[in-house]
Amino acid sequence: MTDPKPADLDISTSRPSFWRNLSFVWLVPVLALVISLGLAWQSFSERGVAITISFPNAPGVTPGETTLRYRDVVIGTVENVTFSDDLSRVVVHARVDKDVAPFIDDKAQFWIVSPKVSTRGITGLSTVLSGVYIEGAWDQEPGAEQYAFVGSDGPPLEQPGRPGRRITLMTTDGRLISEGAPVYYHGVEVGRLEKPRLTVSSDAIVVDAFIEAPHDRRLNSATRFWDTSGFSVSLGGQGLTLDFDSIASVVAGGVNFDSVYEGGEPVNTGHVFTIYSDEAEARRNLIARSTADAVSIAAEFGESVSGLEPGAPVQYGGFKVGEVSAISADIQETDTGPQIRLLANLAIEPDRLGLAAGAGPDEVLDFFDAAVERGLRARLAAANLFSAALVVELVELPDLPPESFQREATPLPILPSVESNLPDFTATAEGMLERINSLPIEELLDQAISLMASIEAVASAESTRAAPDAVVALLEDTRALVNDEATRALPADIRAAVADLRGVVAELKEAGAFDNLAAALKRADEVATNFATASQEFPALVEDLRAVAAKANSLEAEELVAAATRVLDSADKVIGTEAARDLPPAINAALGEIRASLAELREGGAVENANATMASAREAADAVAEAAAGLPELSARLERLVAQAEGLIAAYGDRSQFNDETLSALREVRQAARSVSQLARAIERNPNSLLMGR
Amino acid sequence: MENARRTQSVLTARRAGLVGCTTCGRVHARQAVVCHRCGSRLASRDTGSLQRVWAWLFAGMIAYIPANLYPMLVTSTFGKTQQNTIVGGVIELFEHGSWGVALIVFVASVLIPIGKFIAIAYLAVSARSAVVIRGHGRQHLYEVVEFIGRWSMIDVFVVAILAALVQLDFVATVHPGIAAASFALSVAFTMISAQNFDPRLLWDAYEADDT
Repeated sequence: MTDPKPADLDISTSRPSFWRNLSFVWLVPVLALVISLGLAWQSFSERGVAITISFPNAPGVTPGETTLRYRDVVIGTVENVTFSDDLSRVVVHARVDKDVAPFIDDKAQFWIVSPKVSTRGITGLSTVLSGVYIEGAWDQEPGAEQYAFVGSDGPPLEQPGRPGRRITLMTTDGRLISEGAPVYYHGVEVGRLEKPRLTVSSDAIVVDAFIEAPHDRRLNSATRFWDTSGFSVSLGGQGLTLDFDSIASVVAGGVNFDSVYEGGEPVNTGHVFTIYSDEAEARRNLIARSTADAVSIAAEFGESVSGLEPGAPVQYGGFKVGEVSAISADIQETDTGPQIRLLANLAIEPDRLGLAAGAGPDEVLDFFDAAVERGLRARLAAANLFSAALVVELVELPDLPPESFQREATPLPILPSVESNLPDFTATAEGMLERINSLPIEELLDQAISLMASIEAVASAESTRAAPDAVVALLEDTRALVNDEATRALPADIRAAVADLRGVVAELKEAGAFDNLAAALKRADEVATNFATASQEFPALVEDLRAVAAKANSLEAEELVAAATRVLDSADKVIGTEAARDLPPAINAALGEIRASLAELREGGAVENANATMASAREAADAVAEAAAGLPELSARLERLVAQAEGLIAAYGDRSQFNDETLSALREVRQAARSVSQLARAIERNPNSLLMGR
Repeated sequence: MENARRTQSVLTARRAGLVGCTTCGRVHARQAVVCHRCGSRLASRDTGSLQRVWAWLFAGMIAYIPANLYPMLVTSTFGKTQQNTIVGGVIELFEHGSWGVALIVFVASVLIPIGKFIAIAYLAVSARSAVVIRGHGRQHLYEVVEFIGRWSMIDVFVVAILAALVQLDFVATVHPGIAAASFALSVAFTMISAQNFDPRLLWDAYEADDT
């Protein structure tokens, strides 16, 4: 039995169509391919845009590692670092993200961020470990595509996309500021300074500053900047004051700003401000000094400019319109050979000339063109009376030989000048000073002091004080004498006596005086001859003589003489004092005359002398009156002297012993003067009262 | 047993009119469609096998391209970021003197995958026609390929562990790159490819040789 064998199968290897047999599994590699291609495409498309950034130096930039960041987010990587063709710069090739690339336009800025330790803190610390990275900044507006950029070493002040305003500050002292120093507004940091740099003319230092928004709204034409670096120590009423803004500003410097008045005009980006040395100065300078806009011209002087310093003001009608920036000498070839002229460079500030804001050099030069036509000239003038410093004045003088503004002169346009009247002025001032100098002030003072000493000696002397009393007593006595009934009667008696005498003479005439005389002589003869006999009658004669004497006695001349003697004694007493001798000689003379008259009276002791005595007394009284007339003047003089002396002493200042003494002396002198003037007034009021009494 | 040495005398199940279950191993008559024991579908020869082998192989090869072009590891140490491809990493290790590690990585990540591609491709081709390796060589090759496939994942494994462990923020951070995923896919695809290969096809070639 054969095993049933399966029939041989005709196995025909069917050849199905390729597509029918195609397995779905082929989708897998297709999918893989698609994904791979997709990945490839994605990575290719996301590969970023290649850009090149050139730096002066590229410290720490490593290909493949150094990243490119925007707002601290990585947006690309450095692929390669090469040099520029001339090896002057380092060119960093980097790829940046494609979605960021359109924003990187011509305003983009790149800088290398590296760790930096400064007074203001430590920045870029993360780069210590990770290495430096390149930070980019640009605005939020896509711009024209650009692939090559110029990078800077440090972060730029004004970063695109960070609002704020860029301004320029000017100073003359670069030590005050350093790069990165803060800008404060009321002590709040609102901006930064960039690297200071010299101006082209090297006479100032400009530094750009960036004030962040919104603080940049504070900037206007009334804004003043001042330096806050360093610190100030002041000793005042509140004790010792140490003043500084912050340690950072002490070390790195800083500037502060504020508006010094209300209503300043808004300023544009790039406006130039001046940095003042302190706040007080900043606030003083209400008119902005913008030397940056200054137009330089030169003024040529034929005279010495000694005393003119750079920085001296240039004034127009007393108003400062600029300043002297330099003084130089220039050799000029003339027909008579080389001639040296002195040139002062003047920096004229257009806005101070009243020209429209933003006026350029041309406008200023035009102004001078016209002004010189009108007679504008430069002239040296003294800064003030007592200093030799000079300023340049711009004056408009009429009647000048026409000159022109040498606009095309090199190196600077030249403004014609006129001779100043400076030397005269100086001479006057000098002469005045000399005269003051030559005044013998010291001698004067010495004299005054000795005068004072004399006055003091006189015034303090007892006798001087007594002198007025003595004078008064003298006057009292004189008055008493005059008031005496007998004295009053004297003239009448005298008249009577004269009448009697006249009567006697008349009688003598009538009675045939000559005969009588002859008879009398005869009788005298008789008397003489009869002397012997008459001598017996002598006692009677003596009796008669006694009667005559008694009669004379009855005239009470004795009393008069006694009174006169008393007066004389008093006067003597007065006159005898040392001090009184120093009294005006008029009084002395008067007293002398009085004495003489009294002496005569005493000597005379007779009625006959009374007349002469009276005349003398009257003369004396006149002399006294005259002297008294001089008294007011004397007292006025004394008063003046006292006033002057007082003024002098006041000049010495009070409280010195000398003054005290002098004042007391003067008080006494014044007292004396007052007494004298009282006397003088009394005599003046009624001169006769001296003789007649009241 | 001496027959084992003689490939000519190999009798295949197909020639014997039998079909074996690839799942449980039970032998059925040729006509059987479903395994009586486990219910698996029976097929004397997997006719779609080669197609699937090629398909997965291509997928694996495609995935292997980005696996080599893209960085495998992204390491950031103290802010410095470093990206390494497989070959780049090997070269770096080699330059640092880590010969052994470099060798392991090179073998596991470069030699083995590429060898696998070649091996599978060869097997797939040889199943149809040209035979270079005779006898059991191809069978051994197939077995080696199937065995070694999983070890290629050593790289991916390392990356996965590193990425999971080294997350020290600033000090050190490890991220798997695109290449890691690609490489894993590539390995997976080649393994699938190898698995899809019906080794019975190899015997048909012997039969063809015999006849």
